[in-house]
Amino acid sequence: MIKRCILPRLYGVKYETLFFRMFLKILPGKIKSSVKPNPNPNNELTPPINQKSMKKKNKKQKSEFDFCKVCNRNHDEGQRHKYFPSHTNSLSKFFSRFQNKLTEVRFFLKNPSFLRLELASRNRLWCIFCDCDIDELGSSFACQNAINHLASGDHLKNLKHFLWKYGGGMDRVDAFRISQADIAKWETKCKSLKSEAAPCGGTSQGFPSGLSNDIHKELDYENLNNYEKNTLHHLNSNISNVVMPLQQHTNEYQVSRLEHSGVANVGSNMHVITSTLSVDPCDGTSLWNANNLMESDSYSSLMVSVVFLYLLAYGNGAVNDSNCSGDVSHNKKGKCKMTCLSHCFILMIVFWNLYMDNTLSLGSVIPICVAIVATAGLQNITQISSFLLREAGGNVHSGAPPPWFEETQGDQLNVQLNQVSTLNKSGKLKLNPKRVGAAWAEKRKMEMEMEKRGGIVKSDCDPNWLPNFGRVWQSGSRKESRKEFEFEKQKQPNVHSLSEMPMEIKPYVSKRMVAQYLVPEI
Amino acid sequence: MSYLLTTLTKKKEIDTIIRDTIDKVLVLRFGRAMDALCLQLDDILAKSSRDVSKFADVALVDIDSEDVQVYVKYFDITLIPSTVFFFNAHHMKMDSGTADHTKWVGAFHRKQDFIDVVEAIYRGAMKGKLIVNCPLPPERIPKYQLLYKDV
Repeated sequence: MIKRCILPRLYGVKYETLFFRMFLKILPGKIKSSVKPNPNPNNELTPPINQKSMKKKNKKQKSEFDFCKVCNRNHDEGQRHKYFPSHTNSLSKFFSRFQNKLTEVRFFLKNPSFLRLELASRNRLWCIFCDCDIDELGSSFACQNAINHLASGDHLKNLKHFLWKYGGGMDRVDAFRISQADIAKWETKCKSLKSEAAPCGGTSQGFPSGLSNDIHKELDYENLNNYEKNTLHHLNSNISNVVMPLQQHTNEYQVSRLEHSGVANVGSNMHVITSTLSVDPCDGTSLWNANNLMESDSYSSLMVSVVFLYLLAYGNGAVNDSNCSGDVSHNKKGKCKMTCLSHCFILMIVFWNLYMDNTLSLGSVIPICVAIVATAGLQNITQISSFLLREAGGNVHSGAPPPWFEETQGDQLNVQLNQVSTLNKSGKLKLNPKRVGAAWAEKRKMEMEMEKRGGIVKSDCDPNWLPNFGRVWQSGSRKESRKEFEFEKQKQPNVHSLSEMPMEIKPYVSKRMVAQYLVPEI
Repeated sequence: MSYLLTTLTKKKEIDTIIRDTIDKVLVLRFGRAMDALCLQLDDILAKSSRDVSKFADVALVDIDSEDVQVYVKYFDITLIPSTVFFFNAHHMKMDSGTADHTKWVGAFHRKQDFIDVVEAIYRGAMKGKLIVNCPLPPERIPKYQLLYKDV
């Protein structure tokens, strides 16, 4: 091994470093070999050419290009690739993503529930180990196919191969599959579910075949009943991150059926209202919009629509009733307001009652509300515009001059001057935002404006307010000085009480005097 | 006592004037109306209050009122007349070579001195500085001895 020469420091540091550099230049190969961890210590005397060829040979030991599923790239690192940090990172991310999907499957493993056929097409799982897609067509229970797959022997084999190839750690096998014990439990639970559901069904057909074969009314009715049971059970047992099956149908076909059956009672009222509201040609579009909104049936959306309706009714005033269009008299306006408002109130009350009686579903209330709102909104616009047109003497289309050109030239000049002065003022108003107390100033300005406008007499600063002050002998920040002051303030009453105590004035007695007194005694 | 300048006797009044003076320097003189030096200072303040009115407001505080004693303690006022400067409810300090940077103790020699001082404070405040240097030469700065905790 070449040791570093410890030169005597005769010529100073520079000489040493220069010499060392020259030394380096002369024997580059040997120095380099001593610096790097030399795999072949015997080769230190060999000429550098051989070392280069060794390195080349090492590089030549390339492996064939291989594709890593985890990193999603081709590499020629061979078996070494799975130990690289980038690969381990991608692997952990990869696994976590798959685990998220598996948690749902595991949930249904513990709590099997029936799978609705409409939702079946949405449930698909891609198994990363087997490179296959698992869909739920033809399965009666949620994630049935996925559970079966995860418990199968093929999957286990693929999983082991994957972990060997990509280096996930063989102890992780159980995390990505379902054991035989678990699947046995799941199957028993499924059977018990089936047996519970069978007596409530009403049809003589067995459930699995019924579900898989027909999607007709009988099935829906059964499902409805079962869902009421199952969902209640689930509500009690589980809490979060569960996709609850819908209580009501959202299928357009279903909803329209319900509408026809349930809305008949409201029909008469609806006619009354539609007569008062002038029918727009855009009604069709508004209903179409309403249908789209049916997807979101929630209590909150109903309330929002009701509130919106109310606000619109209140704000409409003179423009909703065909009788008071264009009429400026106050009486009629008031009447229109009242009639419109009352109509809307009646509507709301009717809807609410129906909803509470469960004859009207949420899905149908919302589109009706929205339809009314939409028609009312459209009406508003037309009325106002017509009103303005009648009032204006002329407009752009008629070629009339704009109102500001009617003024004399003097006014024009004044306007210009005003503009200039405002510009100047605005320039000055841009005070340095970094100035002292800028935030306070802004805040205070706002407060004062508020007080001026609203007449709000804001509570004056509390009697203990003190300005930001840095004390004379302070060392820390100003807040600290204020704290000190507060502290001293609290101390004050104590000080006062002490000073009030009468101080006894005693003559000074020195030690010598004491000694003098004491000595004769002894 | 100057009849041109507002005299404040209550803490609340002081608070309101501090809070309501926005983007302007507020000059608060703490002193007694009958004191000779205070009278001198008041005279200068009154004469120059109009000149600085665009960027400063001047007010007098009577330290003999009980309500104001809080501020007397808070601002460590031991010598009168003492002038404290505020900008946007923040206290401005001035380094005039004396022991106490938090206030100006004593009167001014000339009107111009006072205007210069207020201008320096205003400039510093607009730049965001809480402490500024005194533009006056040392001979025109009143000297005094400051006692440390009644020592």
